[in-house]
Amino acid sequence: MLDRRIFKEIDWTTILLMVLIAVIGIIFVHSAIYYQASKYVWKQSVWLVVSSLALLILLIIDYKVLLSFALPFYILMNIILAGLLIFGKTVANTRSWLVFGPFQFQPSELTKLAVILLLARLFSDYKEDKMSFKAFFLSSAIVGLPFLLIALQPDLGTALTLVPILLGTYILAGLPKKYLVVILIISCLFGFIGWNYGLKDYQKKRIETLLVPDRDPRGAGYQLQQSRIALGSGGLTGKGYHKGTQSQLRFLPARHNDFILAVIGEDLGFLGILGVFLIYFIFLYRLFSAVQVSPDRGGVYIAFLSAMLIGCQFMINVMMIIGLFPITGIPIPFLSYGGSSLLTNFLIVGLVINVKMRRFAYVRL
Amino acid sequence: MAKIYEDLSLLIKRARLTLIVFGLVLFLILVFYWKIQILDHQKYWKMAEANHLRALPLPAPRGLIYDRQKIILADNQPSFKVSLLRESIKNDSQAIERVSQLLNLRTEELKARIDRYRWFQTYEPVIIKDNLKLEEVAMIEARKEEFPELQLQVEPRRYYPFGTAAAHVLGYLQEVSPEEIKNNPHRKWRGGEMIGKAAVEKQYDDYLTGQDGQLIETVDSLGRSLGEVNRTEPIKGQDLMLSIDLDLQQKAEELLQGKEGAIIVLEAESGECLAWISSPSYDPNRFITRFSPEEWLSIINDAARPLENRVIRGQYSPGSIFKVVTALTALETGLITERTAFFCPGSINLYGKEFACWFKPGHGLLSLPEAIKNSCNVYFYQLGRRLNVDTIARYARALGLGQMTGVDIPGEKEGLVPSSDWKKKTRGEVWYPGETISVSIGQGPVLVTPLQVAALTACLANRGIKVKPRVTRLDDKIRPVQEKSGLKPENLEKIIEGMWRSVNDGGTGHGAYQPGFDICGKTGSTQVISREKAEKMIQRGEEPTKTHSWFSGFAPRYQPQVVVTVLVEFGGMGGQTAAPIAGEIFKLYREKYVRQANL
Repeated sequence: MLDRRIFKEIDWTTILLMVLIAVIGIIFVHSAIYYQASKYVWKQSVWLVVSSLALLILLIIDYKVLLSFALPFYILMNIILAGLLIFGKTVANTRSWLVFGPFQFQPSELTKLAVILLLARLFSDYKEDKMSFKAFFLSSAIVGLPFLLIALQPDLGTALTLVPILLGTYILAGLPKKYLVVILIISCLFGFIGWNYGLKDYQKKRIETLLVPDRDPRGAGYQLQQSRIALGSGGLTGKGYHKGTQSQLRFLPARHNDFILAVIGEDLGFLGILGVFLIYFIFLYRLFSAVQVSPDRGGVYIAFLSAMLIGCQFMINVMMIIGLFPITGIPIPFLSYGGSSLLTNFLIVGLVINVKMRRFAYVRL
Repeated sequence: MAKIYEDLSLLIKRARLTLIVFGLVLFLILVFYWKIQILDHQKYWKMAEANHLRALPLPAPRGLIYDRQKIILADNQPSFKVSLLRESIKNDSQAIERVSQLLNLRTEELKARIDRYRWFQTYEPVIIKDNLKLEEVAMIEARKEEFPELQLQVEPRRYYPFGTAAAHVLGYLQEVSPEEIKNNPHRKWRGGEMIGKAAVEKQYDDYLTGQDGQLIETVDSLGRSLGEVNRTEPIKGQDLMLSIDLDLQQKAEELLQGKEGAIIVLEAESGECLAWISSPSYDPNRFITRFSPEEWLSIINDAARPLENRVIRGQYSPGSIFKVVTALTALETGLITERTAFFCPGSINLYGKEFACWFKPGHGLLSLPEAIKNSCNVYFYQLGRRLNVDTIARYARALGLGQMTGVDIPGEKEGLVPSSDWKKKTRGEVWYPGETISVSIGQGPVLVTPLQVAALTACLANRGIKVKPRVTRLDDKIRPVQEKSGLKPENLEKIIEGMWRSVNDGGTGHGAYQPGFDICGKTGSTQVISREKAEKMIQRGEEPTKTHSWFSGFAPRYQPQVVVTVLVEFGGMGGQTAAPIAGEIFKLYREKYVRQANL
C-alpha cells in the first residue's frame, strides 16, 4: 500500500517555514492583545497543533485519491454554504460560522480546498496549450458558485480570496486574449451591478476610503490611518516587542488578525517587515517550485493554485494595511489570528507537499 | 516498467513567470513600506505620540490675600469639578445627551458650554460642572467605566472667609471669556480658568496667578487612562498683603449698614487705605462658579448696584467740601487773606439772581476760618464773584480733582472739574459768571469720587504733598508715591484752621468731634436742587442730582496720621449723617493705632 520511500521525500523545510510563520504570528498576537486578558494565544496554539496533525494525516492519502473525491467534496461544501445561508448563526453580522463548543469554524475556508481540488481534477486530463471556451466556462463556474454563496453571507473578503484561484487557472491553462475581453466586460457588469445593488454601505465606504484615506480619520479611514501610524512610528528598528503604542492601546482595530503585520511593523520596524517578507518569499518560492517536481498535470495545478491562493492573500493583506488595496478583511495566511484559515492553509500546503513527496510516480510491478 | 512523464514544460514556464511577477510586486510593495516607515517616520511618530498621550492641566492655586494683620481675606479650598473630554465623544450628539442626563444639565446648555472652548485645543477638557456635591462626585466615580469621557478633578477654589467684607477691594473671579482668550493670544489661559474680574483680584491677577502644572498620561483609544507618564506640579501664585485693616473695615461697614455710600480710611503719609467701603456690598463667593447665571443676574440687576465700586466709580457733586478749593484759590491768588471778611445776610443777589445761604438768618460778618467752620455760602459766593472759573479749575486740578488718583484698583472714574473750555467743548456755550457762583460752593457741574476727596484731604493734611492712594501694603523697599502740589503751606494752614474749628469749635463738622483727638474736617451736603430745575432736568431726560451727605477730615491736626472720608447717598446734611460716622471711625482708629503708638 504505502511506499515508505515517499516519506523520505517530505519537504520538511516548507513545513518548518510554515510553522515558523505561524509561531511568529502567535508571538505578535500576544503583543497585539497585551493589555487584554484573552484566550487568543492559547486558542491559536491549539489550532496550530490541530492543523499540524491534520497536515500529517493528509500526507498519508495520495493526492490522486483526493482528486478522485474532488467533485463530491466540492458539492458537499456548497451544500454546507447554502445551508449556512439559511440556518447559520449570525456572528459579527455574517452567517459564516459553524460552532463546535468553544471553537468556531468557517466552512468558507475549507471551500477553497475543494475548489482547488476540483479545478486540478478538471485540468488533470487537459492537454491543450490554450484554454478552450468550455474549460474557461467550467472553471469560472466552479469558482463562481461558492463565490456567490460566500459573498451572500456576506463575507466579501473570503469570497474574493477565491479569485486568485481562478486567476491561477487562467494563467496556467493559457487563457486566450479574446476571453480577457469577455472577462473585462463581465467584471465591469458585475462591478456596476454590485456597486449599486450588492455592496453594503460600509463596503462602498472602504473603497472610497482607499482613494482618500485622510478625509475622515475617525470614520472609515480610521483603521487605515491608525495602521499607517503604527507602521510609520515603528521606523527602522521598531519600538520593541510589546512596546508598540498604537496596537497596545487599541488604537489599531483588528490588530490580531487583519492588521497583525502593522503590529509587527510597529514593534520591530522596517527590519521586521523585511524579515517577514523574506521568509514569506522563500516560502512562496518553495510552493511555486513544487510545480517543477510535480509528476503530473493534476499535481501542477494543485501546487500552482495553492501557491497563488496563499501568495495573493499575503500580497493583498500587505497592500491593504498601507492603503494600496481596500480594507476587505483578508488575513495573512499563517500569520493572522484565526483557526479555520490556519487549518485550511495548512491543508492547502499539505496538498502541495503531498504532490511534492510523490514526485516519483512509481508503478508497482 | 518505466516511469511515465508528461511534458509539463509549458506549465512550468508559466508558473515560473508568475513567481517572478510575485517577486517584483512584493519588492515594489516593500518600497511603499520603506516610504512609510523610514522616510515618513518622524511624521507618524508624532502622530502616534499625540494619539496616546494626553496632557491635563493641574490648576495652580492662586496666591492668598491677607489684610495688614495677616488675616486671610482670600483663601483657596479644594472643590470638585467634572470635565468632558471632547476627543472621547467626537461630536456625537447622543453622547452629549447621555452626559447631560447624567449630570442633570440641559443639552443646549452643555452644547453652549462646549462651544465656549472653541479657542482651545481639543484635548483641553471642557469643565461642565463645578462645585460638585459629594453625592455627585460619588455618582460620577461609580459610573466611570460607562463614561470614560468624563473626568473628575479637584481644583483649588477661591474662598473669601469674610464674605461681603472688603469685597470691593478684593474683587471677584469669573471664568475667562472666549473674547478675552481671543484677544490675548500670547497669554496661556487654561480652559475654564477663573480669573480676577474686579479690584485687587483683577489688578494683581498676574501676580496672584500661579503656574499650572501638567499631568501627562497614557490613554487608550477610548480615552481611558492607563497611567501617568509625567507630572509637573503646579506652582502656587504669590501671596499679597493688603493695607486694609479688617477690624476697621468691618466696623466701618457696620456704620454704613443699610445705607448706600462710601467710606475711605487712609494713612495720610503713605496713602495706604485701611478701610474701603462701598455700600451695599456683595458676597464674592457667589461668583466663584462657572454657572448659575440667575444668581449673577440678580446681583447685576439689583437697583442698589452692589457691584458698583462707589469709592472710585461713584461721581458725586462735592457740595461744600469744594469750598476748601475755592478758599485755597482765593488765598493763593492773593485775592484774600485770612482776615478778609464778608458779611452774610442770609442771601445775596448776584447777576440778578438770588443766592441763598443754608443758614437763613445769616452768619453776619465773618473771616475765612469762620466761613469754613460755618460753611457759609455767602462768603464763598463773594469769592466766586471775584474769581475766574478757570483759576478755580487750575487749583482743583492741583489738588487732584478731575483726574484719576492712580489707586491700584482698576475702573476708576475721573470726575469733572468744569472750566470755560470744557463748557465750550461739550455744550458749545460760553461760561456765565453766574455759574462760577454755583461752582464756588461745589454745586453746578462739579463731580468728584469719594477717593478723590480722600486724596484731596490727605494733600491738605500733608501740607501740600499729594500721595497716591493704594490698597496693597508698602514694604520697606517701596516708598509711597508722593508729589508736591505747589501750594503754599501757610495758605493750607489757614484752611486747616477753619476745618479744625468746624469740628472742634461748634462748626458744621462738630458731629465728628472726638475728645482728645485733634480732628480737622469739612462737611458737605449737595444741596437739593430747586424743584423747577429738577423738573427741567427730567424734561431733558436727565436724572436729577442726588442729595448726598459728605464729611472728609484728618487727624491729628499736626503730624496727621489718618484721613477719613464718608459719603452717604441721600444722607441729608453732611453734619448730621456723615460727620458722626466719621467721628466713630476716628475713634476706632485712635483706639487701635494711637494708643498703641503711645505705649
